[in-house]
Amino acid sequence: MGTTGPSSINPKIGKEYGMNFPIFTIKDIVNLQLKLIDHLEIEQLFSVIGGSMGGMQVLQWSASYPERVYTAIPIAASYRHSAQNIAFHEVGRQAIMNDPNWLEGNYYKTNNKAKHGLSVARMIAHITYLSEGAFQKKFGRDLQSKVLSWGFDADFQVESYLRHQGSSFVERFDANSYLYITRAMDYFDLTNEFNSNLSLAFKNTKCRFLLITFTSDWLFPTSESLNIVKALNQTAADVSFIEIVSEKGHDSFLLKVEEFYKTLTGFIAGAASKKGINNKDD
Amino acid sequence: MTNKLNENLISNLILEKSKVLDIGCGNGHLLKFLEKTKYINGQGIEISQKGVQECLTKGLSVIQGNADTDLIHFSNNAFDYVVLSRTLQATHKPKNVLTEMLRIGRKCIVSIPNFGYWKCRLQILFYGTMPMTKSLSIPWYETENIHLCTIKDFIKICKLLNIVIEETYTNNDHTIKKLAHPYSYWHNLLSKESIFVIKKKK
Repeated sequence: MGTTGPSSINPKIGKEYGMNFPIFTIKDIVNLQLKLIDHLEIEQLFSVIGGSMGGMQVLQWSASYPERVYTAIPIAASYRHSAQNIAFHEVGRQAIMNDPNWLEGNYYKTNNKAKHGLSVARMIAHITYLSEGAFQKKFGRDLQSKVLSWGFDADFQVESYLRHQGSSFVERFDANSYLYITRAMDYFDLTNEFNSNLSLAFKNTKCRFLLITFTSDWLFPTSESLNIVKALNQTAADVSFIEIVSEKGHDSFLLKVEEFYKTLTGFIAGAASKKGINNKDD
Repeated sequence: MTNKLNENLISNLILEKSKVLDIGCGNGHLLKFLEKTKYINGQGIEISQKGVQECLTKGLSVIQGNADTDLIHFSNNAFDYVVLSRTLQATHKPKNVLTEMLRIGRKCIVSIPNFGYWKCRLQILFYGTMPMTKSLSIPWYETENIHLCTIKDFIKICKLLNIVIEETYTNNDHTIKKLAHPYSYWHNLLSKESIFVIKKKK
């Protein structure tokens, strides 16, 4: 996962890093991205956009390197992980670390690779990405077959859906990486660098901010983004904020929510014309 | 919600390159107009998702929110002007809104529909029903205008809150007139709408 991770080969010992991989933070990720744009000799990014963990990176970018960012668009994000966010992540990590095939992270030469633990972690996480309404609308109490098994098979469609989400995830994701990445989100608190004062993070910023949230997102609720809006207002920053009506939960930013697309394209077009970048379609 | 006459007036009232907050900025028409005519640095607050989207498309900065709850987040004197156009009567706590506006802005421009307009008075007097006029066209049970007042009422609350009324204008559909004094009996009877420039008493 990423550029280098626990599943990469540690050149010093010729095998995977596993749990010897160092803990990294959102700021480390952003610093790596900075190295890339330095290498590419990009003076200023027109827009840094990201949802959820990506939104954390947007905030870190705008706080650490404001002069390199023209517009910053954190979507369904927060300046720090809440207790509830950490709690859900912890359950996921425990599922992985309690999988007997996890082997303290040294599973790379085995067949099983902590698949069960990772799959359960993904199932839990997936619940947090949707809303109650989305689940109800998508599945209700619909059954897989016409009759109940009166046992513990996946009778309900929602169960089968979650099991599928879990098992398809393990094919493309490394369990140890899941531990490290969730930890990076847990450790994120932008105020740590700024004396517990969020508005100091954005002092004298010239970035144009657009914060977007979704009504049914309970993982990164609107109130979290409003805290950021408040801090930006206190520093008289250029800030826009919109809460999009959507019943699709936190995942809304990954889905085709029409009003979300409209808002984003409108803002980008508006910012581009302010910056003097011509739109070819005009 | 502002018409062409009001927009021109507001544009004449503010200085070039000032920082302006438009509360209830709708589709951002006024802010865009002020950007063009006065090169302002504008910020809007708008409650509807559609309005916010239209503002963003115009390249304006706008926060989805409302006058009652979201002014507290701005720092003192953050703006040169705060504009509240035909919105005060729709707020839950007009007194707080006025106080907050004057905290975050050096000057405020407030327009209000005049409930003391003679047609409103006659409707209560003769029909005995809540008045409905062209600008107040929604019945009492559906209107968002929960705190309607007359010009006299507005002048009274300014006194109560230690607010100085610097300039007063009336807008009667096709003409805007500047008044020498904020209050006169006839003005309160004949004006459909008034626009005030207010500031804190030093």
